[in-house]
Amino acid sequence: MLTGALAADLAVNGLVTGLFYGLMAIGLALIFGVLRIVNFAHGEFYMVGAYAYTIVAARLGVPLVLALPTAFLFGAALGWVVERTLMRPLYANIGSWGLMRDEYAVIVTFALSLLLVNFVDKAIGPYAFRAPALISASRVVVGPALMSGQKVAAALVTLAVLALIAFFLRFSYWGRAVRAVSQNRLGASLAGIDATAVSSLVFSLAGGLAALAGALLSPIINASPDVGAFPAIKSYVIVVLGGMGSIPGAFIASLLLGIVESFGAVLVSYQYRDTFGLILLILFLLFRPQGLFGERGREV
Amino acid sequence: MSGDVRLRREFIATALLLVLLALVPLVTRDVYWLGVLVVSAYFAILASSWNLLAGFTGQFSLAPAAFAMIGAYGAALSAAYYNVPPIVGLIIGTGVAGLIGLVLGRIVMRLRGPYLALTTLSFAEIARLVASNSINITRGDLGLPLEPWFNDRVIWFYVFFGALTFVICGLYLLLRSKAGLFLEAIRDDEIAAARSGVRIVFWKTAAFAISSAAAGFAGALYAYFASLVTPELGLVQQTGLVVSMTVIGGMGSLIGPVVGAFLVYVTSEWLRDVGGWQLVIFAALVIMFARLFRTGLWGLVTTALAPRRRAAGRPA
Amino acid sequence: MSPLLSVQGVTKRFGGLVAVADVSFDIAPGELVGLIGPNGSGKTTLLNIMSGHLSGDQGRILLDGEPCSGLKPQGLARRGLMRMFQLTRIFPRMNVLDNLLVGGRALGLAADEAKTRANALLEELQIAHVGHLDAGQLSGGQMKLLEFGCCFMRTPRLALLDEPFAAIHPTMKEIMSRFIRARHAEGQTFVLVSHDMPVIVELCPRSICMNAGRVLSDGATSQVLAAPAVIEAYLGGAAA
Ligand SMILES: Nc1ncnc2c1ncn2[C@@H]1O[C@H](COP(=O)(O)OP(=O)(O)OP(=O)(O)O)[C@@H](O)[C@H]1O
Ligand SMILES: [Mg+2]
Repeated sequence: MLTGALAADLAVNGLVTGLFYGLMAIGLALIFGVLRIVNFAHGEFYMVGAYAYTIVAARLGVPLVLALPTAFLFGAALGWVVERTLMRPLYANIGSWGLMRDEYAVIVTFALSLLLVNFVDKAIGPYAFRAPALISASRVVVGPALMSGQKVAAALVTLAVLALIAFFLRFSYWGRAVRAVSQNRLGASLAGIDATAVSSLVFSLAGGLAALAGALLSPIINASPDVGAFPAIKSYVIVVLGGMGSIPGAFIASLLLGIVESFGAVLVSYQYRDTFGLILLILFLLFRPQGLFGERGREV
Repeated sequence: MSGDVRLRREFIATALLLVLLALVPLVTRDVYWLGVLVVSAYFAILASSWNLLAGFTGQFSLAPAAFAMIGAYGAALSAAYYNVPPIVGLIIGTGVAGLIGLVLGRIVMRLRGPYLALTTLSFAEIARLVASNSINITRGDLGLPLEPWFNDRVIWFYVFFGALTFVICGLYLLLRSKAGLFLEAIRDDEIAAARSGVRIVFWKTAAFAISSAAAGFAGALYAYFASLVTPELGLVQQTGLVVSMTVIGGMGSLIGPVVGAFLVYVTSEWLRDVGGWQLVIFAALVIMFARLFRTGLWGLVTTALAPRRRAAGRPA
Repeated sequence: MSPLLSVQGVTKRFGGLVAVADVSFDIAPGELVGLIGPNGSGKTTLLNIMSGHLSGDQGRILLDGEPCSGLKPQGLARRGLMRMFQLTRIFPRMNVLDNLLVGGRALGLAADEAKTRANALLEELQIAHVGHLDAGQLSGGQMKLLEFGCCFMRTPRLALLDEPFAAIHPTMKEIMSRFIRARHAEGQTFVLVSHDMPVIVELCPRSICMNAGRVLSDGATSQVLAAPAVIEAYLGGAAA
């Protein structure tokens, strides 16, 4: 039964999970906003981040405070390469794509995901890796809830990073450029914004954030080649709920999904807890494709 | 070249390929390699059915493996609980997949591109999660065992080749009729197709249902072959394979998915001995094909054989 | 004669913007009506409502005296209402001949019949020499001709043409207007949206001029073009 104490515990845990979802989903939303594609390899950036952190910290003995940014940089670099080699044709020559554009994006990112998963599986091995925790305390009291020290530390880092990102998007030149290109690519380029550079930036940032999420969670959920599938699916759900491409929408939807899942698992069904979000995704795309907060545009 | 002529050429090429492959048991009766060809034929059916949807109708679904899984469970559950004979199980599996495809196809009617991909991916994941968590019905990840239908690999080989031939002929007849015109028109521009009087809802839903039924058919057949059905049949990675095969072979042509399926699966078995890098290689190939040769291997062949080269697609 | 199409008090708002405001007119069978007006005056929106691509907020439309608001575009196509879009819409990955066949087959022609008809249209529109190309490989003007042809695979009861002459070479324009004139002489009904005044004057006995969603003037083309309100709103001092 749902007592007050349990409810508070569930709420806090749900919110913290939602924060982690946010770190993943915001990158996906940024990419969708600027390039109008869903990156089906987003989860693999998470996986790559988890490995980068684990290897750098556990094998090479780099201090943890440096290992985290290393994972971020690694993800960002990978994102940059992917954008340069695979995404560029999507808008460099946008006219000649016509119909094939959406298909190309799905195929290429889907294949990239397959490539990265299997590459890591072969190059490093299919076994799970345990990463060193930032804080080793196994039980920390957070208000009404109990959590592992790592979860608390990761949540704090996430909060700080999300605040930074919000600040960056809101006030910096490049942040405004990102928002301008999301609204109207052509218009933004005519206004002198380098839309191509914005695309690179967004892909790197998204890759970096996903990798950071993987790094932060790798001490809790051990790194393995397919570890990215789960958070990727969560971020698809969130991006749809928040309105494809909306950053604030994605953030609010992340917290909501975290809470819905944590209560749903107790109140509705533990077995089928992972299907709630997916069902929400389908319902939203069918009945409210603009998400919780968006609007629609002209067709003919 | 008219669409008609192109389609007939592809059909003849596919028929030749199938005849050639059907001769394999005369050369070798190696159980392992016949098994590899059986699985390739399974994937060829899946890829061809997915191609009807993605290549000919422009509905980029990410659920083909889920429908194969649904077909397999349709057969396995009816066999386990009602003890039906294989042929009935096959019909049930195909029918259930087709019906669910009909409903899903009707529901996702309006969605395109990334939206459709996300919806069908979610559907596929839900289907898989339900299969693996409904433990008291499906035994979850342990899987449902089935009485094997035949024990002789050569018989299985010909059963699968018969099934593949059946599916290819069906697709050919469908695409050659006015349905083929309508589906391609819908793929290219739904609004223009509607303006021309094409019944969009009917044809899109029909394509979804037919494609799903064919995938379910392949899955049900595979269930009897493997004599075990697990939720793994519906993994997204399986869909990844189906997409890879189609893209490498040539999306939007009748023969592409068949060539792709055999090529990818048979070589991947070959490469298994060199440490299992095959999936890495294929994923890289898919990216390369999508990036550089959008018409796949079949497209490369036809361009090479074309009497005069034509200008590449011009920017709209 | 009872009107073929009757537009009665149709209004369409986009947020605060009234794109079509209380528009009413009738079109008799066999008429060729020019629909003119400055950019953004609501012509395309009105056509979208007539062809079922948008639903109006108020008012109704009757085809042959029967209300047809609420019908989908394909339903209206089956009732004989054909529409050419302002931004060309063809099937770029199908060849030119197949592009035409789609419309013919969808509206019930048998395979041979459709092929004969399509080839005749290709000849008449002088694009037979590119009949085997994929439509996406055509020039912009050829695409327009192709879309134009698509509307006539089965003789429509009413053809709505949204700026068929925009960005078209004079020779091709001549081909199209000759085609329209010939069909009009045979009794075909048209609504023709265009910014090309000489063509409107030459082709259309009657015109409707819209501005800011309203009908400013409706009548004989010469009178419409001479109406002070039209001159002020649209042609400005230059044409006076
Ligand atoms: N889907 C839509 N959402 C919002 N506003 C729209 C939409 N469609 C049209 N409008 C607005 O309605 C008005 C009329 O547009 P419409 O396209 O009908 O003009 P038009 O007369 O065809 O112009 P043109 O001659 O330039 O083609 C314009 O101000 C346009 O911005
Ligand atoms: Mg217009």
